[in-house]
Amino acid sequence: MNPISHISYLEATARQRIAGLLDPASFREIIPPTLKRVSPHLGLFGAPVAFDDGAIVGEGRLDGKEVYIFAQEGKFRGGSLGEIHSAKITGLLRRAAQRKPAAVIGLFDSGGVRLEEANAGEIGATEIIRSIFDAQKTGVPVIGLLGGSTGCFGGASIMSCCCDTLIASEEGRLSVSGPEVIETVMGVEAFDSRDRALVWRTTGGKNRFLFGTVAKLVEDHIPAFREAAIQALTVKQPLLPAKLKQDLERLKKRIDLYGKCSDAKQIWQKMGFASEKVSEMTSEELTTARDHQAKL
Amino acid sequence: MKLQDLLTQLFPAGCKTVTTGWLVSGEAEVAGKTVSVIGTTEHTFIGVREIVALSEKFLDIAERFPGRPIIMLVDNNGQRMALDEELLVLPEYVAHLLKAEQVARLAGCKLIAIVYGNTVAGGFIGFGMGADRVVSVPGGNTSVMKLEAIARVTKMPLEKLQELATKVPAFAPGCENFFKMGGLYEMWTDNFPAQLQRLITSDDFQDLRAQLGRERGGRQAAQSVIDEVLRT
Repeated sequence: MNPISHISYLEATARQRIAGLLDPASFREIIPPTLKRVSPHLGLFGAPVAFDDGAIVGEGRLDGKEVYIFAQEGKFRGGSLGEIHSAKITGLLRRAAQRKPAAVIGLFDSGGVRLEEANAGEIGATEIIRSIFDAQKTGVPVIGLLGGSTGCFGGASIMSCCCDTLIASEEGRLSVSGPEVIETVMGVEAFDSRDRALVWRTTGGKNRFLFGTVAKLVEDHIPAFREAAIQALTVKQPLLPAKLKQDLERLKKRIDLYGKCSDAKQIWQKMGFASEKVSEMTSEELTTARDHQAKL
Repeated sequence: MKLQDLLTQLFPAGCKTVTTGWLVSGEAEVAGKTVSVIGTTEHTFIGVREIVALSEKFLDIAERFPGRPIIMLVDNNGQRMALDEELLVLPEYVAHLLKAEQVARLAGCKLIAIVYGNTVAGGFIGFGMGADRVVSVPGGNTSVMKLEAIARVTKMPLEKLQELATKVPAFAPGCENFFKMGGLYEMWTDNFPAQLQRLITSDDFQDLRAQLGRERGGRQAAQSVIDEVLRT
């Protein structure tokens, strides 16, 4: 890729990501930082606050269509789910259920629940999930993007998997327990979080794409995320019993086939890929390889 | 409290439930009407295998008994923490369970979760907090992370956290704190059948948690922020 045209999603701030994703100058923020809705809890711990509490919500246009958008700022306390942070996202999703924009776009970048307000964050995560379902029920699709520097863990990871479509770059890590947490609780032999290659193979976008969790794999390039989000605007996954049963069979089969694997390389090999090459492939190459594999 | 004691106290008219290892399922009578029961026990961890079993129950009940309330008996020690679980994309499994609960809700089944044992973090999100109403009974204990672990991560002295825990419901473990935040609809101490009947027969399905958190003083900002976004 031409380095001059490369606009990294990974390295951008949440606000830069929004600006690059939406149609130029179309974003209008709801509860902007000038209103200073800061965490009522962090101060008790002597921790710094942010005027947006690490969550930016608002409305704008994508390919000319009206969309709502929320973005977590991973650079503020790991994009963690606090009381205000979660309430802004819940409010946006409930607003979408009422006013029916073309879609809600969620830019996940979060270590999960904020420990200093753990109960508020955990309840907040489930309020968001209920609101995602309520928006979907009224026909508004929710599109999740994964590619931020913090990744997407804990309650945020579960929220993201409730979206109609997930778009990710290889850098977009996704798991419930983060590698560091597993190492802290279970020991280094259970998961060596300093082994970066292992962490990326396990939780990174490629593994999630090959399992079908992620619908579209893109390069770490904001315009690529934008293009994929436009394509996803019309994709809806209504929660129909037949669809859920089908998904359940797929998830069961995944356990049967790969439940004994201890490394993504084993899984990729079993799937029929040249496992050593997967890490080197571009998103396009891997997509082509997967489509080819699916036809066999 | 023990599962057997809970079942006896909750369903004096009798219940037909089967406990297989960690999984509880079956049906019971509440005020002459049949309800479905799905529960977990033995402080199980919620991993991919537990989830497919639970999801299957919800989908099965939604299909065969639409409109019938589902009583969820909650006891878990959180999500299963392991590399092989995460390799298979654990969050997709937890989300599937939540979607299966939503399918049951859309089929007219009211979901009532009763926390009678432990319930922790991702385990509670997947099985418990997805219900329409979540209540606790004596012996129930909710937590996200132990204070010792919070101390390690936030680098705050444990003594300071223990002191804060007595007055800040936002982070400290325990049902009382969760109740103040609006995360528990009620904390039952006795007379479970009448209370259960009241929740089942109520038409109220709305998510009131932010509102309750404000009324109870634990989460004073969330509801007003939600309202502010809705108004703008």
